[in-house]
Amino acid sequence: MAVDQLSGTLAALADPTRRAILERLTASDATLTEIAAPLPMSIPAVAKHLRVLERAGLITRGRAAQARPCRLAAGPLAEVSDWVARYRRYWDESFDRLDEHLRTLREDTDDDGQER
Amino acid sequence: MTDKSDSATGLGLTIQRTFDAPRERVFRAWADPEQLAAWWGPKDCRATLVEADVRAAGAWRTCIRHVADGTEYWCSGVYREVVPPDRLVLTFAWEEPPGSRGDESVITVTFADEHGKTRMTFHQAAFHSVEQRDEHVSGWDECFTDLAKYLSERRTRPNGG
Repeated sequence: MAVDQLSGTLAALADPTRRAILERLTASDATLTEIAAPLPMSIPAVAKHLRVLERAGLITRGRAAQARPCRLAAGPLAEVSDWVARYRRYWDESFDRLDEHLRTLREDTDDDGQER
Repeated sequence: MTDKSDSATGLGLTIQRTFDAPRERVFRAWADPEQLAAWWGPKDCRATLVEADVRAAGAWRTCIRHVADGTEYWCSGVYREVVPPDRLVLTFAWEEPPGSRGDESVITVTFADEHGKTRMTFHQAAFHSVEQRDEHVSGWDECFTDLAKYLSERRTRPNGG
């Protein structure tokens, strides 16, 4: 995984408004006006957030129409998802070993009546 | 262990496990470097060095060696909260290469007593900067349920729709 791209993705996601925009786009593609409607901020402010998301590759924007509808791009998010999956395996296996370690301690305690 | 579960909502990973041991002992398994070395790392790896100054602002560093091919992986961070036997908060980053800092994340581990057993809740969240780590400790998971669902659906359509 390209670390720089992951960093860029995380940076773009580190804002609640931008996460809300992505959340909105999971339902359907939407224009700037549609995206801005429920948000408590100006259209230029929303447009700025869209530019950040577009630079991070998290959304694409249509070219044909004046409205330039936004669409969620899954690629960078899949990287984040992979990040989580890698760590899940790492820790699940570590905690299996922790479980074994604790069991060993318990057996020691049972043997001599004292914890080591 | 009597029970385990885990979930991932976008940027955060949560794993819960119940261990058949009092929480003082489970906490010590995290806080004592010697014990940490006994279990830290995936099944095909062994921790060969664990340095841990287990107190708030204390540093930790671990070398994990892949048993089969001898490759070493270094990771390190700083303890942010040490509250025995309730809670540990530490930062985590892979050193790629050793000595450098990769993407930073924050790990929160809590230990709850359940009739002499211990319910451990492990949470790890990704941050791309220290500032964001401090600002968004609780903010990452809140709205990613649909996003995770969206992703899993997209996985079956490689072109992204």
